Amino acid sequence: MAISRSGTAAGTQFLDPAVLGRIGNLELLARTVVDGFLTGLHRSPYLGFSVDFAEHRPYMPGDDIRRIDWRLFARTDRHYIKLFEADTNTNFSVLLDLSASMSYGSHSLTKLDYARYLAACLTFFSSRQRDRVGLVTFDHDVVDYVPPSMKHLDTVLHTLDRAHAGRPGNLEAPMLQITEMLRRKGILVVISDFYEEPEAVLRALGPLRARGHDVIVFHVMDPYELDFPFEEASGFEDLETGEQIPVIPTKLKGDYLQMIQAHLDALEKGFAKNRIDYTLLNTSKPLDLALFQYLLARERLSKTR
Amino acid sequence: MSLTFLVPLFLLGIAGVVVPIVVHLTRRQRRNVVHFPSLMFLEKIPYQEQRRRRIQHWFLLSLRALALALLVFAFARPFVDQSSLGLGASSGPREVVVLIDQSYSMAIGDQLDRAKEEAQRVFDQLGPLDRASLVVFSRGAYVIARSTSDRIRLRAALDTVAVSSGATRFGPALKVAQTILEESNLPSGDVYLLSDFQRNGWNGDEGVRLPPGSRVIPISVAEGSAIDNVMVTDVTLPRQIVAGRERVTPTARIVRRGGTAAREIAVTLELDGQQIQSRPLLLEPNAAGAVTFQPFTLSQPHTTGTVHLPEDPLLADNSHHFVLSPGSALGVLIVEGAGAARDVSLYLRGALDVSDDGRFDVRLRRASAIRPVDLDGVAAVFLNDVQIDGGSAERLREFMEGGGGILVALGQDGGWPASAADLLPGTVGPMEDRVQGRGGRLGYLEYDHPVFEVFSGPRSGDFTGARFYRARRLQPTDSATVLARFDDGSVALAEVGIGQGKVLVWMTSLDAFWNDLALQPVYLPFVHRLAEYLGGRAEAVPWFVTGQVVDLANPNALETAGLVSSRAAGLLDGLDQVALTPSGANRPMPASDGPRYLPLDEHGFYTVRQPGSDPDRPFVIAVNVDLEESNLTRIDPEELALQIEAPRAATAGSATFTVAAELQREDQERRQSLWRWLLVVALGLFITETAISNWVSRRGSGAQGVATG
Repeated sequence: MAISRSGTAAGTQFLDPAVLGRIGNLELLARTVVDGFLTGLHRSPYLGFSVDFAEHRPYMPGDDIRRIDWRLFARTDRHYIKLFEADTNTNFSVLLDLSASMSYGSHSLTKLDYARYLAACLTFFSSRQRDRVGLVTFDHDVVDYVPPSMKHLDTVLHTLDRAHAGRPGNLEAPMLQITEMLRRKGILVVISDFYEEPEAVLRALGPLRARGHDVIVFHVMDPYELDFPFEEASGFEDLETGEQIPVIPTKLKGDYLQMIQAHLDALEKGFAKNRIDYTLLNTSKPLDLALFQYLLARERLSKTR
Repeated sequence: MSLTFLVPLFLLGIAGVVVPIVVHLTRRQRRNVVHFPSLMFLEKIPYQEQRRRRIQHWFLLSLRALALALLVFAFARPFVDQSSLGLGASSGPREVVVLIDQSYSMAIGDQLDRAKEEAQRVFDQLGPLDRASLVVFSRGAYVIARSTSDRIRLRAALDTVAVSSGATRFGPALKVAQTILEESNLPSGDVYLLSDFQRNGWNGDEGVRLPPGSRVIPISVAEGSAIDNVMVTDVTLPRQIVAGRERVTPTARIVRRGGTAAREIAVTLELDGQQIQSRPLLLEPNAAGAVTFQPFTLSQPHTTGTVHLPEDPLLADNSHHFVLSPGSALGVLIVEGAGAARDVSLYLRGALDVSDDGRFDVRLRRASAIRPVDLDGVAAVFLNDVQIDGGSAERLREFMEGGGGILVALGQDGGWPASAADLLPGTVGPMEDRVQGRGGRLGYLEYDHPVFEVFSGPRSGDFTGARFYRARRLQPTDSATVLARFDDGSVALAEVGIGQGKVLVWMTSLDAFWNDLALQPVYLPFVHRLAEYLGGRAEAVPWFVTGQVVDLANPNALETAGLVSSRAAGLLDGLDQVALTPSGANRPMPASDGPRYLPLDEHGFYTVRQPGSDPDRPFVIAVNVDLEESNLTRIDPEELALQIEAPRAATAGSATFTVAAELQREDQERRQSLWRWLLVVALGLFITETAISNWVSRRGSGAQGVATG
């Protein structure tokens, strides 16, 4: 595999968030990312099974050899892949956190930018796979809701494009609403910074899981949140509440790092316990990690379904 | 010597030092707000409030506080107060200035010798690092030894001090001392003032201000007892022409100061060094009298005369010198018309004839033509109501170009040839009558002009009483000078220069036809001034006073001083001259194109001649002492010292002391100007602090996160 969890694969520098930040059109961005990502994979990511034969096409390296039409190979001595009409029954929805804390960014991209790119890419990818794509944005309430549909790619991308963070966030209330809105089971990708206690997070996502949705969680964090490299004594202002406290970073850094790590660990364990795929994303790192994690999850979900 | 402040109230501004601390603790925190996604973790961490207020950049804070403090100090105008410097040998090296009065009053008794002894005593007390200067003064001040510690040189300079003929003036001497002290780098200075302290030598407003740290030590060498002094204050020398010869009757005015009883004084007159008369005069104490000598015939030029009094303690004012020369009559030609009335010049001739000293030699010509012979020996011409011909006008042109002067009086028959119209100061117009009312008057006189100068003082001649009933109009040219106007603005008297001479035009009659000026008392001196001005004769001065300066290259000055023509004495020929001073010293006066000044420092006779020549009657200038010095009224030496030295010598608590002390403090502060340096250093600190602060801020801001919307 040419991609690792820790770094950017050769030839995929185009997925660098800083580079993506210069692309204004989300659809173009998503297509660029997805196509660029897919060309680096040795195996075709498109999954799904159907009884409706569509056509043959020559085998390409990376295709699943199980899908080679051996009969045709016997007659022609050439490898062909049997293509079927993809399964279109899967609902794919992105639940995007628009709380004010998502507007933070220590470099060119804010967490919300990163999340929007990720959501756009995943939606585009799913749309290619003929999933029905939808979007729910929320802070302490549901902000926008795009129901899953085969035709809603543009709507989703447009909604993502105009999404902005500004209000305080809260997971539990909007998740309950979403649970009521998304009655048909599907794949739910939750993108948030999860600035709540782990128990509250799990409690909020619990109803979704209970409804039978496959939940994939992307925890978006800025490198400054993870490393806390501040030095000068300053007043730290909470982006959601406006509260300000004086902070001497050099004094608090150790405690902070310990607490954030404990928080991440608690989330990871809690999600694993609830069979929720959890991925921590650093906004300074390329998107390919997120995409890769998504593909793994889809692959695993396709096997289990 | 201590650091003090001229405006200590500004030191309250030192409280401003807390400003950077407050800014550091408040504004700095507000400026560095970091937006952070959530404080849920940070809030859980216990922290100490005091930690926030910790000052991280002590160096920056110190720079700001120091700069502010320096700024405050600069506004408080600090200076090192040197007024508390000790006085005396123990206070360190001194700059000593000894001022010795050499005015002629110091010749009384042994005043000068005692002054020299005191000076020597001062020099003997000099410390090894002290320096001393020796200055002698009377009207002026002369440094004869400047800022030296060489006692032999000082002693030698002291030996040369002698009494001069000048009067006492403390101002110049103290200014010299001030200059020496200001230029000295020694911490303190002493000015020893050795004099008999005459009050006339100090008017209290000489602008002398000795530098801080210096003092004045007055040492009076005046005779303790009052002296009985007689002096010649004035000599009048009226002249008369008797049998064609000039006779002078000298009258001397004698003043006696002091004394206890009346005494008889023998007043002696010397001429050319020989005593010719002596008259007794009985004078009461503090009284004045006059002695009139028998007339003597003045026949020789540069006759020197002296009025002597018997010896008394103050010798210099016992003699009064003068120089006389026979006066030469001024040739005046009056021209009147051949057909004019016999009395047309009655008043004019009468006025010119009225002079005891025969100063005018008046001739009369009744013709319209002037012959060359008529102008021989004539310096002034009055054309009184006559119409001359063109040839005469041309002769007059030559006469004027040679230095002569004419006055054209335009009466009923007066006129001027058109061929020589350029000689007049304007165009002559028609007659105008002023018969309405009481006639016209003279409304404007140019009192700065020599003709009218003697009338400028009050009660010196009233021209307003004269009535003018008819006059001619004159349109003056640009080169003309109007000397008098009638009350209607028309020209009465105008002048224009022709060569070395001049033409005056009087626009009405000069006798009592068109006006009654001739009947006024002012007429006679007016005509005399006109004639003397036209003839170019200046009033002679028989003596000068010590301290005056004569320019031997200035003809006017020489005419005044020499009493005879300076041309005759050869002074105007640009040759080398030598002046023999009364003390017998030769003072070369080399030939030059510029002025040749002869300072008259001694009383007596200055003789001026060409080097190597020995004329019988050389050019002589008489010089007498300034009689201000004869007034021996004393000033309190301490009072004088208080007015010029550092104010600490004044009585503490007095208003004078307060004002003087404040002036002295301001003076010290102004001289030192420490505030400039403090401002420069404060500015430098501010710049340094700004640079460092910016650098620190840039480095710190690189680690701050931002939130965008």
